[in-house]
Amino acid sequence: MKLVNLAKVSRYFTLGQNRVCALKQIDLQVNKGEFLVLKGASGSGKSTLLNLIGAMDEVDEGEIAIAGKALGPMSDRQKSHVRRDHIGFIFQSFNLLPVLTALENVQYPLSLRTGGKAAGASSHKENKAKALAALERVGLADFVNHKPNQLSGGQMQRVAIARALVTEPDIILADEPTANLDSENAQSIMALMKQLNRQGITFIFATHHDYVLEQASRVIELRDGCILQDKQRVAA
Amino acid sequence: MLSINFFRYKIALLNVLRNRRRSLITLLSIQIGVVSLILFGGFVASMYEGMRENMIRSQLGHLQIYQAGFNQYGHIEPEQYLLTQEQVQQVSNLVSGLAEVELLTPRLDFSGLITNGNQSVAVVGNGIDPDKEALLSSAITLIEGEDLFPEDQAGALVGQGLYNALNANIGDYLTLLASTADGAVNAVDVQIVGAINTGTREVDNRLLRINLSHAQDLQFTQGVSRLVVLLKDTAQTQIVMDKLSQLFEQEGLTLEMRSWSQLADYYHEVVNLFDGVFGFLKIIVLFIAALSIANTMMMAVMERTPEIGSIRALGATRHEVMMLFLTEASYLGLFGSTLGVLLGIFMANSITLAEFIMPTPPGSSQSYPIRIFVEWTVVWQTALTGVLVAVLASIYPAFKASRLLINQAMRSA
Ligand SMILES: Nc1ncnc2c1ncn2[C@@H]1O[C@H](COP(=O)(O)OP(=O)(O)OP(=O)(O)O)[C@@H](O)[C@H]1O
Ligand SMILES: [Mg+2]
Repeated sequence: MKLVNLAKVSRYFTLGQNRVCALKQIDLQVNKGEFLVLKGASGSGKSTLLNLIGAMDEVDEGEIAIAGKALGPMSDRQKSHVRRDHIGFIFQSFNLLPVLTALENVQYPLSLRTGGKAAGASSHKENKAKALAALERVGLADFVNHKPNQLSGGQMQRVAIARALVTEPDIILADEPTANLDSENAQSIMALMKQLNRQGITFIFATHHDYVLEQASRVIELRDGCILQDKQRVAA
Repeated sequence: MLSINFFRYKIALLNVLRNRRRSLITLLSIQIGVVSLILFGGFVASMYEGMRENMIRSQLGHLQIYQAGFNQYGHIEPEQYLLTQEQVQQVSNLVSGLAEVELLTPRLDFSGLITNGNQSVAVVGNGIDPDKEALLSSAITLIEGEDLFPEDQAGALVGQGLYNALNANIGDYLTLLASTADGAVNAVDVQIVGAINTGTREVDNRLLRINLSHAQDLQFTQGVSRLVVLLKDTAQTQIVMDKLSQLFEQEGLTLEMRSWSQLADYYHEVVNLFDGVFGFLKIIVLFIAALSIANTMMMAVMERTPEIGSIRALGATRHEVMMLFLTEASYLGLFGSTLGVLLGIFMANSITLAEFIMPTPPGSSQSYPIRIFVEWTVVWQTALTGVLVAVLASIYPAFKASRLLINQAMRSA
């Protein structure tokens, strides 16, 4: 079974009189364990594609299925649960909750499962232990009680990675996660994600940076909403 | 099913503390609302109480007992509906057995003319027991002269307005004309011993009080129009009334009874009017508070749009986002109401202690210092309303927040 399956997916945006076609008839399958990089010029549709895969936006045409579940007929609540249970997100601007500590930020997505029916719901204490373990995995065990404004950009992005990891998602989506970091930090974040990939986590990336390409197991180039190139690479 | 998302409460609380200035403004508007409702409610309550006790202790007593039929026909043929001496004795025996009762006093009503030789004025007269009436009518003040004593067989107290109209002096003798129980006209001499103020100008313009025996002589009767009961506590009026009607039934007494509340039409009119005014004021105050809260919550939603996008991306449902803002609003409501209640109680007590003199109320002839009661029902209802208004006013902003499109919300970072 494919982890991600897109069939003839199109997405349009209307701005005033203009209708921009951000994605055109995209067919795409992603397998478990891939380290897939989306590249392409600004405006080529990378973010649009990630948002659709992440169940944060709706297709105008076509079908998307995540882990075998079709998103099309789902209610907003069901899609929220797909995001919570199957997908991890890493954003360009980290998007940590400023009022919470690093540990609490990582614990937050787990807390969304306390509501009864969610699979894998666990107690506050267990959640805390999981969050701590995730922070250890990204090398931030010493910063658990720091607020985001007491952390560097690289550290914030590590917290964000821990937050994406902690729910043990099927797939982590990362939209230019290194764009706001200096190259040294960017390299080490990439190395961290690659290491996590080796431990079995599937990644889909959007990026401009070339050094990301070296890590990729597969590179897809977008242009004007179409797939221009889809290259498998030998795993680095 | 029902498990608590601890983080929702934590994040909501931290968000309250985060933008202190905005939270303070919201708290302030809730507080001002709560304080003004407590103060106005307490002021109105004290006014009601003042009016009530003044009426009870100047004219009405808590309960009045009459001959059967008095209230329906008594104003046409008062002499036919007097309580007999025997009935008065029976009732006195029954009433004196009740612990709630302070005293029982008889009154004989009459209407007549009083003349000073060159002018006559119509009067509403009461024959009273001066000793007991002095205790009952503690709200009546003596303006000039002395109180009436049982020994002054011919003595009379006149209302302030009547005293002025007669152009009389203390000690003057006047002639009082009235019809007797059998329809003839009789006259007696009365000597003005004092001028009194009941607090109600209408009454003071006509009032004449003389000894009961003197009034009975004037009317050739041994009866009385009514027995007035004063209780130790106004709150016990209904209880005593029920007890008495039971006792009357057991003893085979066919009597009528009225409570102060049934007699005080004017009081009820004023209460209704002020309740209406209070209700209207309440709506305005709450509306203003709600607008201010809705505005600050809307600002919070706009400011936190990227965060809302993030938590939605992490899997929070629309419901969760909505609850996050409503929880924040209920904290604000709770803090604002609590502070408002404390401040309201403090201010109510301070104003009462300061004893500012109020302008004389309409229809009244006495001035009082402002008193503001801390009415517990008003306090808890207002506090609850404060919380409710904060939450209700936040529903729309919270709903807006929950409906933000995730990808667009994240973009506005
Ligand atoms: N919410 C939106 N409203 C209108 N147009 C949009 C919206 N989101 C994306 N677009 C348009 O869709 C196209 C694809 O945008 P997208 O953000 O996916 O590009 P991108 O490849 O991520 O670019 P970048 O590298 O600059 O991030 C662009 O033309 C963009 O203007
Ligand atoms: Mg983009």
